[in-house]
Amino acid sequence: MGELGKLHQLIIPFWGYNITLNLEVMVMTWIVFMVLIILGLFASRKREILPRPIQTLGELIVSMLYGLTEDALGKKLANTYGPLVCALFMFLLLSNWLGIIPHLEEPTKDLNTTLGLGVMGFIIAHYAGIKSKGFKAYISEYFQPIFFMMPLNLIGELAKIVSISFRLFGNIMGGSIIILVVSYLTYSVALPPFLYAFFGLFVGTIQAFVFTMLTIVYISVQVK
Amino acid sequence: MDSILYKEEKMAIEGVEIVKAAAFIGAGLAMGLGAIGPGVGEGMVAAKACEAIGRNPKEAGLLTRTMLVGQAVSESTGIYSLVIALLLLFVV
Amino acid sequence: MNVDVQTVVEVAAYVGGGLAMGFGAVGAAIGEGYTAARANLAISRNPDISGDIFKNMLVGQAVAESASIFALVIAILLLFVDVPVPSVLKAAALLAAGLSMGFGAIGSGVGSGYPGGEACFGIAKQPQIASQLTTNMLIGSAVCQTPAIFSMVVALMLMFIDFGAAPLQPTWAAYLGAGLSMGLAAIGSGYGGGLAAGASCEGISRQPKTAASVTTIMLVGQAVSQTPSIFGLLVSFILMFKSFPESTALSAAMALLAAGICMGFGGIGPGIGNGMAAEGAVRWVARNVEHAGDLMRIMLVGQAVSQSTAIYAMVVSLVLIFVV
Repeated sequence: MGELGKLHQLIIPFWGYNITLNLEVMVMTWIVFMVLIILGLFASRKREILPRPIQTLGELIVSMLYGLTEDALGKKLANTYGPLVCALFMFLLLSNWLGIIPHLEEPTKDLNTTLGLGVMGFIIAHYAGIKSKGFKAYISEYFQPIFFMMPLNLIGELAKIVSISFRLFGNIMGGSIIILVVSYLTYSVALPPFLYAFFGLFVGTIQAFVFTMLTIVYISVQVK
Repeated sequence: MDSILYKEEKMAIEGVEIVKAAAFIGAGLAMGLGAIGPGVGEGMVAAKACEAIGRNPKEAGLLTRTMLVGQAVSESTGIYSLVIALLLLFVV
Repeated sequence: MNVDVQTVVEVAAYVGGGLAMGFGAVGAAIGEGYTAARANLAISRNPDISGDIFKNMLVGQAVAESASIFALVIAILLLFVDVPVPSVLKAAALLAAGLSMGFGAIGSGVGSGYPGGEACFGIAKQPQIASQLTTNMLIGSAVCQTPAIFSMVVALMLMFIDFGAAPLQPTWAAYLGAGLSMGLAAIGSGYGGGLAAGASCEGISRQPKTAASVTTIMLVGQAVSQTPSIFGLLVSFILMFKSFPESTALSAAMALLAAGICMGFGGIGPGIGNGMAAEGAVRWVARNVEHAGDLMRIMLVGQAVSQSTAIYAMVVSLVLIFVV
């Protein structure tokens, strides 16, 4: 049970502060990047009229995600933010699925990954809001509906980052902890594959979709 | 003979401490229980607003404004709880 | 009374295990009962496909059961856990683990009953889309279990992480607060998520063509309803992992316990409220799918305002932890 907290960390002292890099998580993230880049290259290399399976898969995913973005943002903005949405969803999907392969673990199990993605989504959403509405209208929104609601609105926006990141982190880490504990209890007989299927594949897909969908929605709320 | 809870150090249970401790528990209970009502109430408002917009989407602006005003009024007891909690924490 | 440390630890573990299973059994039982009730109504309405309805009811009840199974696992672990270095601090942590899982399973259990029941009823109304309804029921119930999963994570952390050299006072109150914060806050979110999932099954049974939009808005609505339980998780983590300076003052301990109580109870109402908002939105997307975008927007606005009391509770909790 002691493995619950062990992490390989690389600590670099930097002018009085320590920069801590979690090596396992970074390696897993790079693995996901590699897979995504290779898939992307293969799917778009030679575009033929009668597509091969990988190209079909790529077209299916992209069209589905662009459809979601268009529903929420309208056609013009969908072209700007569509690639972001696709990249986010594919990254999260593969990250959440990585835990099924033995000896690999999900990069989203680390709060740093999910918090980073959440902050990125927040910055993009607010940048889109400022760009489309202008700075004054954006600031005045914080003072609706009553003037002294400003700090509460501000905290509400920050709470959105917290909720979106912690939800993904909690679900994925919770799933992996449950699998660990139940495997330990049942001596890894019979039950673990079903748990992997449920928590890894099923919950992983849903949570990736929810994170992506919420990012789209936050962008659309700021832009409207 | 001391039992385990008092082995190393006795908890400082004097008058002032009990009052402060009670104030903290009071603040926690006030805000905690006080958040239940407005949460449920405002949720009901939002649900019915969704239904109203579903029935009559053209009036979306008016319905949204009505919802927000209704929710703000429901919020008032929540704000009272917040005020009492903060008073208990910092003033008492 | 002269009690030694090992006894205190065992007492806390057994009480925690009892609480975990006791409270954890409540939710799933109520939820499964609701599913069975709706399934009976469905069969009375359409006896020819009673086989399908019956199968669907059993599947739905199985998913609702999972919250109680988490509670059972935690209770068994608490009964048989072997504590190498017993301390009163560990006793507080074990009791808190029981509280966290026990309360946390209530909401998800009751909530998961709604999609099961509505799916069974929907099959009676529209037998040809039975598989779609089952899929939607499974998706909704699975997301609805998330607060119970969070509670289980907190419970397992409280049981197995070695907190080492933390001082007894006031950290015992911090652990109890962590357990209460997560456990209580999960009640509302679990129940709310279930309301949304139930409405989605009902909506799809009314208008099968709108399934994709309904499922999307259900997932978004459920995700936002879970926010109070995530706040509870955050406060739990802070209470578990922040190192508190040793202080024998009763007020310091009570401040931490109060932080947990505040966030815990504070998560119940907004969780239920957000779930009701999501339920209304999902129900009406099924009836009026062209305006799904408008409905999603007003659902989010309404949920955001409804969450504000949860944010107040979190602010008061954080003030109690950091400032006081």
